[in-house]
Amino acid sequence: MFKDELETITAAIESYGEKPPDNIAMISDPFAGQNFIIEELRHRYPDTISYLPFFSVVTSKDFIPNLYTAKDVVIMERCHFLALRKVGGFAMLDEFLDFISSSEKLFITTWNSYSWSYLNAVRQIEGFFPEIIHLPKMDSKTLKELILSKYEGARIEFIDDRVIEKKQGFEVLERKITLPFTNTALTIPWISYSPGESKKEEIEIEDAVFNRINIIADGNYGVAQRVWERSLEYPEMKTSNIPEVPCAVDLTINEAFLLTIILSMESIQLVDLAEIAGPEINIDQNLYRLIQHGLVEEEKGYFHIKPEALKCVCNYLTRIRMVW
Amino acid sequence: MANGIQPDITDLPIKEIDISTILYIGYILIIAYIAVRVLSWVLMRLSERAGIYRISVTMAIPLLKIAIYSTALYLFITAIIEPSLSQLVAFAGLFGAALGFGLKDVFADIIGGIVITFERPYQIGDKIAIKEHYGEVIDIGLRSTRIRTPDDSVVTIPNFLVFNQSVESANAGKTEMMVVIDLFIDPESDAGLAMNILKDALVTSKYAYITANRPYTVLLDDFPFYKRVRAKAYVNDLRYEFEFKSEVTRRAWMAYSREGIRPPQVQRILPETADQNERTSERST
Repeated sequence: MFKDELETITAAIESYGEKPPDNIAMISDPFAGQNFIIEELRHRYPDTISYLPFFSVVTSKDFIPNLYTAKDVVIMERCHFLALRKVGGFAMLDEFLDFISSSEKLFITTWNSYSWSYLNAVRQIEGFFPEIIHLPKMDSKTLKELILSKYEGARIEFIDDRVIEKKQGFEVLERKITLPFTNTALTIPWISYSPGESKKEEIEIEDAVFNRINIIADGNYGVAQRVWERSLEYPEMKTSNIPEVPCAVDLTINEAFLLTIILSMESIQLVDLAEIAGPEINIDQNLYRLIQHGLVEEEKGYFHIKPEALKCVCNYLTRIRMVW
Repeated sequence: MANGIQPDITDLPIKEIDISTILYIGYILIIAYIAVRVLSWVLMRLSERAGIYRISVTMAIPLLKIAIYSTALYLFITAIIEPSLSQLVAFAGLFGAALGFGLKDVFADIIGGIVITFERPYQIGDKIAIKEHYGEVIDIGLRSTRIRTPDDSVVTIPNFLVFNQSVESANAGKTEMMVVIDLFIDPESDAGLAMNILKDALVTSKYAYITANRPYTVLLDDFPFYKRVRAKAYVNDLRYEFEFKSEVTRRAWMAYSREGIRPPQVQRILPETADQNERTSERST
């Protein structure tokens, strides 16, 4: 998984000291699986790497002294926590960028893709990271291999209990009508619904299962894993268990803004959300609505996008230009 | 040549007009009207779902109106007369001349509507300023354009104005639009800090839309009794123009008051008025 990306970072670490370091920004959607790369790097270079992750919004400069004492290669995970979307909310990010501008160390950083786009637009952070890696989407085949690799030795029974799919569609026909009190016949276009012939996809059941999972996951490993776990009735995996995820979202500007923040920060506490929202937005009411819509969920005081709804949320927020 | 055409025109084969012809014409007009209303409504609904393509979808509405009404006019004419091509051309010329003399304003409006439809100086959904009116275009008809002003009044503007008035379109067919926000501060306040705060208030707004092609800027200008901090940025949907201004202004002033940045002092701007006010208040006490 992510072999090319891993090779790029490995090459940068191996060549450290030969030339001025090219800091790396690894950008990915929520749940996309960048932690696999980080874990692999830490496993390969335990003596060379300092690991400094952020778990929530950074509000003080306490992390700066750690950077001075860190090893030559520093992995900083979830750097989007350095900025808060409020007046004065970029102070920590500016401190960090000031530090790496004058540092000889190699910084390998990970960022949420939506935060990255935003910060790049408003702060041009791209200029501080000569090596930018975007984690690619996975295809159904890769997702299948990765997910099933956890069940080696165990036998999972795939059951195809899909409702027979029919080829459906609309067609435009011509229909003649005669208007009352006149002899004039008019030909008008008439839209007709055609149920078509019954047709079942001729593919392996396993592939059909993972194709359906990938329609929801959109190439995102974390989302696919979640859908798989929720659909699996071990040892049986029925195609009918894979949920339909309808996406008919219509939010107010305040709800959409909170959703944008939650998507960009990946997981955020109520207190930080309230600080961004300010007095204009009623946090409790808006969060309640987002949870009711099935877009957001709370876990141990942190709010994050419901993985199954990620694709829907991203499409909606992109459409209304809250993320770009 | 004229001798050749004249008998052709005077011999227009007018059909027998009976009740069914009148009903047929009535149907055509009603159907055309309903079709325009329904299609406009459907396209407006679709445009709301189209997100950033909202204005592109609404562009089709005036085109559809012209197509439907032109078809209806053709059916109307052919229901009464059965012209040959030369008769139709001659009739159209005479009809046009009659319109030109008798209904020249209406005719100019219709031509204006056609020009607006094809040249697109503005489209439905745009924010435009024409003469003393400013607002969002909500409908482009054959005769007039209707705009909704910020105070929710609907202004009907004759289409012929497009020929002799300059039209200012704030967004030129895009969903986003540049908004200019001015804040005025006391000249003794820290202008650099004021600029940074306004910059933050701008880029962190829920209404802001910032990309490489849609940049933002904050500028400072010095006046005798105050300094002006001006922000320019794009709002993600032009409908939020005033909310964007209001939100950025409110948040910037909250931060200004925390940092001791003050608005211009009245004494500085109008020293005589301030002195008079002081004297008046002293007398009253």
